[in-house]
Amino acid sequence: MAETRILDMTGIGKSFGGVPVLSNVHFHVDAGEVVALLGANGAGKSTLMKILSGNYSRNAGAIAINGQIYELRTPADALALGIRMLPQELSIFPDLTVAENIMIGALPKSGMHVDFRTLEERAAALLKRMGLDWLSPRTRMGDLSHHVQRIVEIARAMNGEARILIMDEPTASLAADEVETLFSIIRRLQAEGISVIYISHYLKEVFAIAGRIVVLRDGRNAGDFRTGSTSVDEVLQAIVGNRVGDLYPPFSANAGGKQDDVTVEGLSVAGWLRDIDFTIRRGAITGVHGLIGSGVETIGRALFGGSELRATARRVTIGGAPYRITTPGRAVAAGLGLVAAERKREGIISMLSLRENMSAANMPLFTRGLIVDRGKEERTVGDWIRRLTIRARGPEQQIGTLSGGNQQKVCLARWLLGNLKVLILEEPTRGVDVGARQEIYRQIRQLADEGLGILLISSDAEEVAGLSDRSIALAGGRIASTFEQPVLASALMNAASHSAVAA
Amino acid sequence: MSEIQSTRQATAVQELGRRPKDLLGRPWAGVAMLLVFYLILIGVFTALTPFFLTVKNLLSIGSNMAFIGLMAAAGTPLIIAGGLDLSVAAVAGISGVIVAMCYAAGIDIWLACLIAIAAGGLIGAGNGALTNGLRLNPFIVTLGTMSIITGLSLVLTGGLTQPLMIEGFNWIGSGRIGGSRGIPVPLVIMLVAFLLIWWVMAFTPFGRYIYAAGGNPEASRMLGIPVDRTQVVLYVVSGISGALAGVIVAAMLGAAAPDSVGRHLLTVIAAIILGGTSLFGGRGSVWGTLLAVLILGTLNNGLTLLNVSSFWQDVTKGVVLLLAVSLDQLRVRSQG
Repeated sequence: MAETRILDMTGIGKSFGGVPVLSNVHFHVDAGEVVALLGANGAGKSTLMKILSGNYSRNAGAIAINGQIYELRTPADALALGIRMLPQELSIFPDLTVAENIMIGALPKSGMHVDFRTLEERAAALLKRMGLDWLSPRTRMGDLSHHVQRIVEIARAMNGEARILIMDEPTASLAADEVETLFSIIRRLQAEGISVIYISHYLKEVFAIAGRIVVLRDGRNAGDFRTGSTSVDEVLQAIVGNRVGDLYPPFSANAGGKQDDVTVEGLSVAGWLRDIDFTIRRGAITGVHGLIGSGVETIGRALFGGSELRATARRVTIGGAPYRITTPGRAVAAGLGLVAAERKREGIISMLSLRENMSAANMPLFTRGLIVDRGKEERTVGDWIRRLTIRARGPEQQIGTLSGGNQQKVCLARWLLGNLKVLILEEPTRGVDVGARQEIYRQIRQLADEGLGILLISSDAEEVAGLSDRSIALAGGRIASTFEQPVLASALMNAASHSAVAA
Repeated sequence: MSEIQSTRQATAVQELGRRPKDLLGRPWAGVAMLLVFYLILIGVFTALTPFFLTVKNLLSIGSNMAFIGLMAAAGTPLIIAGGLDLSVAAVAGISGVIVAMCYAAGIDIWLACLIAIAAGGLIGAGNGALTNGLRLNPFIVTLGTMSIITGLSLVLTGGLTQPLMIEGFNWIGSGRIGGSRGIPVPLVIMLVAFLLIWWVMAFTPFGRYIYAAGGNPEASRMLGIPVDRTQVVLYVVSGISGALAGVIVAAMLGAAAPDSVGRHLLTVIAAIILGGTSLFGGRGSVWGTLLAVLILGTLNNGLTLLNVSSFWQDVTKGVVLLLAVSLDQLRVRSQG
């Protein structure tokens, strides 16, 4: 049978607020093909897929399905054309039955009420297609294990005339044998002629399941490989590229000789980190890279205390003094500061002013007797607005109305104005365009040069390798390897992704 | 020259066009809107009845609303900080009962008041412990404590009103400061409470933490702000305000009636919301609440003077609340 081109996206362009995120991207998929879509964070993978699923509009380019051009303005358009997207996070209804979960978008009716017999028959047929013959459609969804829920979700996506299935990091929280089950289902779908677009950071998985690998970098096509005739190194090179030189500031000559300022022994977080040791050097940048699920999400806040993590450590010292992980209040008093990855959720207090946001963590500095010293507060805030060139109408502007980059600067300034020894940065450039990124990197380096210890936590290997004096690769809750600079991003990525699959 | 002038005119026109929207965006715009509404209300009632705009009548409004204002004043920072206290009016009810029972047992009346206020603080601490210690929803927790306390008041008294005619004590409820035509004592207590709470919210670090904790508790925790402690303290303050309101009502009536305050809970919450405080936390002001208390009191008083039945007064109160909240939502939304 001749190959039929089911999907052909040509010359796709998209920009947000004048910043291009996709330019002239081509992407095609044949019927029954499994294509892996790879790229670093911010390379444009999710944007491209959101255009395909009708969630985003595009600024340029055309989308053809089965040789015919379609507009794809809404998610409903995409669904009607058989394009199904499996979200990264589970979206299930735990208190409904498996059958109801599968058919929720198209419940069969007889008269006014749901036709439960047809409902269960259709659900059972879909479950059979997934190889889940043993599962009763009447089972309560919440009683199933995580990976079976995943498969039921796929069954839901297959309801109706499904032709293309988009899977975004489907194995992020699956164990090795569960991944195998998932792969067998993908192969089954493939045999039925359904195409799968597979997004993942785990290269080993990609090589195991995909026939072809498409790489995006900075919103452009950066490679198209047959898995049979390429190598991990070649693909990594395409993902990382070689623009490292100009984006990152030069390393400081003496950073390596600096003293350890923070030593951490036996840091553990149930379900995330297993007994890890590391140090943060004063005047240097210590980078931590890991894939989603490796523990990279929690390593910073574990040190900070509080939250629901219940982190423990055998021994931590800051500047030689023992430090016990308890509450963020104590961490701040000990000289730690944390800039959270989710700025909206954990960083800014959006309805308060820029001034109130900036001073919030250091109110004792601005308190005289019982009351707030507004004069001192305003002088300090004004000072930092100038020093970091924060663009705002003034200190009283609501922070929620500032641009993302300027909000991020406020989140930085609120620590810098206090008694800070160590700054923990979580994903400092997530969702930031390349130009602003360079500026942020320069500032981070400058802070280190001024004597701060910096812990840079990022799922972007290139960023960690390009900026850190020492880079730590995290995998499966443990430190996989530690590199002194210079280190190649691909080596770091390799250390983080290979051991993850092995673990 | 003429070109420059025309450009200048153009910008002036632009600014003029933008001004109303900018004005609506100011933090005090909500309070200003309430003030305008209050003045209109006063104008309308003055035109409709000659009995309305007299010093005596206005002071009686203040005196009658004082216990509600007191609870609303304490409830405002609590809701801004992300909490909610539905038990506050029930606390006022049991507070009067405690005073009456202690007095009947031979305890000095002022000591009895102190005991009642301590009990109110303790109930507040209990609310705080359940909401913040166990992370239970404040609506459910304080609905529960409201029911428990209301029930206990009835159990303790058998549902009967306990007389409390004691000269010095009754002064709290019906006395005047500055001679027989001076300012009613309850009104003074309420205004002092508003001033004190405003001062704390505007000038102390604790005041900052109130807005931060309610605005984004997760971010606040990451900044080392003691979110839970802030909320617990405010629950205690709310409990104390309820107890104090109960003492005032008992002193006004010369009796402790177990069910005298409970039905005013909705007015307390309505005043806070009408005053522009967001039920989701992070936004609001104590002056908005004060204006809202005055508006609700004036509405009640004016309609009574006009011989409108109290049944219709409830309807009016509800309409005004919905109207004000809708307008405020439109104002906030117009700011994007």
